[in-house]
Amino acid sequence: MNTTTSVTTDKAPTPTVVESKLEQSLRDVGIPPRPLILERVGEEMRKEEPNFRYLGELISADVSLAAGLLKTANSSYFGFRSRARTVTQALVMLGLNISSRAIAGLVLRKVFLATPAMERFWDVSARVARVSGWLVGRLGVRDGVRPDDAYTFGLFRDCGIPILMKKFPQYVAILKEADADLDRVFTDVEQVRCPTNHAIVGSLMAQNWWLPEETSEAIRCHHDAVILASGPLVIAPASARMVALAQLAEFLVQRIDGQSTTREWDKLGCTCRQLLALDAEGAEALLPEAEPVVRDTID
Amino acid sequence: MDAIGFDPLTGFLDRGGCLRAAVRLAEFCRRQGRPFAVLWADLDRFKQVNESFGHLGGDAVIAMVARRLGDALAGRAEVARMGGDEFTFLVPACDRRRAEEIADELLRTIAMPVEVGNIRMRPSGSIGVALLDSEEDSLALIERADRAMLEAKRLGGGRYVVSGDEQVPGRVGVLLAREELVIESQIHAALESGGLTLHYQPIINFSGSIESAEALMRCQVDGLSLAPNKIIPVAEKTGLIARLGEWSMLNAAQHARRLRDHGFATKVAVNVSRAQLTAPRFVEALYAALYCGDIEPDLLELELTESLFLDVSETVQANLKAAKQAGVSLAIDDFGTGYSCLANLKDIPASKLKLDRAFISVLPDDRRALAIVRAIAQLGRELGMTIVAEGVETERQFEILAELNVDAVQGFLRARPMDGEALVEWLRRWR
Repeated sequence: MNTTTSVTTDKAPTPTVVESKLEQSLRDVGIPPRPLILERVGEEMRKEEPNFRYLGELISADVSLAAGLLKTANSSYFGFRSRARTVTQALVMLGLNISSRAIAGLVLRKVFLATPAMERFWDVSARVARVSGWLVGRLGVRDGVRPDDAYTFGLFRDCGIPILMKKFPQYVAILKEADADLDRVFTDVEQVRCPTNHAIVGSLMAQNWWLPEETSEAIRCHHDAVILASGPLVIAPASARMVALAQLAEFLVQRIDGQSTTREWDKLGCTCRQLLALDAEGAEALLPEAEPVVRDTID
Repeated sequence: MDAIGFDPLTGFLDRGGCLRAAVRLAEFCRRQGRPFAVLWADLDRFKQVNESFGHLGGDAVIAMVARRLGDALAGRAEVARMGGDEFTFLVPACDRRRAEEIADELLRTIAMPVEVGNIRMRPSGSIGVALLDSEEDSLALIERADRAMLEAKRLGGGRYVVSGDEQVPGRVGVLLAREELVIESQIHAALESGGLTLHYQPIINFSGSIESAEALMRCQVDGLSLAPNKIIPVAEKTGLIARLGEWSMLNAAQHARRLRDHGFATKVAVNVSRAQLTAPRFVEALYAALYCGDIEPDLLELELTESLFLDVSETVQANLKAAKQAGVSLAIDDFGTGYSCLANLKDIPASKLKLDRAFISVLPDDRRALAIVRAIAQLGRELGMTIVAEGVETERQFEILAELNVDAVQGFLRARPMDGEALVEWLRRWR
């Protein structure tokens, strides 16, 4: 492991180097410190004239990243009339901000799928994310939260979990206990047996992957009903809205799947509905429409 | 009979007269392509004067102040009394610099002593300054001057505020001046677009081994570097310092991991500010950084900046204790200057003292500094602490510090700050 070569920053790495570095970091750490590909996108974003072609080539070296980015650009979220046929076109259409987030999501998917026993967990996150994005279309763009923001948040909301799972053998049991607890805040249950919690770990990681601050803020307090209800001086409205959308999405997914393993909607549902200006019936009424979305999204 | 458009007490224009004059002057200046300034002045705490001396007493004060103000600006401005203790000054062909000079002059004039009965008082005023915008009408201009005056009052009075410089709520709801607002948005941009990086400066033991590497934050937005002394005060004011601090902790931990993967068990030291240590969930964030970095805690060190010692509260103490329990080591930065003092050595469970460069830069000539360094090195040894000299730049300083039994040095003499990749190379060569 000590033989890893350093990456020079002055020369553009060949795509194969990027790919192998990415794979390497996935194997080594579980969660890569900051994927090199995001670093490169960031570097280009900070330039006055970003080189889309260069980035396109870098991303194209990783087939799954390239395919994922094309799929994102051509998804109905963005409603582009023309279809992206190359990665460079997708980058131009989405812009580097959205592309960077989409790439972060795609890399995260690889991380989850490369971590043993995390496939199912990823599957749930991915569905919550998609339903969250769909909900924005259904309830409207408010506080600047667009479908892809809600989608990215849904993917990253619980990204702290695999990190803690790797660190604490007993973490699965801790999660079960937190899932079942109807009174205490989820993260408080975690912290009885662990010096930190998945929300803080996830928010640090999101920050480190250059996700928008509202997203990392939302990850940090996505179990905290008090903060969510505290208003704009305590939490950015966009952050609160992302949390509420994902929580509602999770409720819909669980109801439709008929497998409710958490008590989060019992604890946070009321606050989330208020944030989304929905009453209990309104939330229920979304079920029939959401059903095909939930079913369709089973990968 | 009183003349229409004039104030009977002061003989200045009244409110209506002021508006008419403003329309005329604004049009004149616009045609001539000259600037036009309006200043709105208000006496601070005037209500108190009226309450203490009655309205007649109050009127006497106003008449006195008004006469002085009128004299001060005679021939340079149209002066109006807007009612009560409020005056406006319409100054044609006056740019911002001149308007600020006039505002200063008015503040000094208002502050001259006034005698009411046998009491001598020193009033103070608040002034709002507004300069005509190309599209604006004169009423809007006067209103802006009024608002700027209210802002000056809000800031405590006895000052002027130029319209457009008022503090406005930043992204996190804290009131900021315009310049600070720009810096705040730059910090946000850096946090979101990868404008933050850590550079590292090795700290070298006299034995030749590497004691640690201090992580130093660099912030770049739109190709421009932002100096730490610009961003830190704004970051502290807005609470963003906690974010920046968490980011640094995580990245320092991850770099320690990278170094370990390259075969170097080098400890990385990261600066921790007071705001971070008093922020909620500091300990959780520290653990999160250790877990995300996937390193042993003894590869991370927290350097406590001297602002911390201004007031070592219970929260700070508890957080430091918890950090120590986590297995992270603590170092006191810039020791010997600012707020750091000997009591801190007793209260803070640090294992390292970093002597401020102020003592080192004057070596070997300054005998007093020499004595202080010797004494602190002695003290440090007694306390079982590692003593590091900061800012070592010459061989002579290096030799003296070796004689004084200092443990390690940091400074340009041996290594400058470098980026993460360069540090790996440097360590390789050093080995």
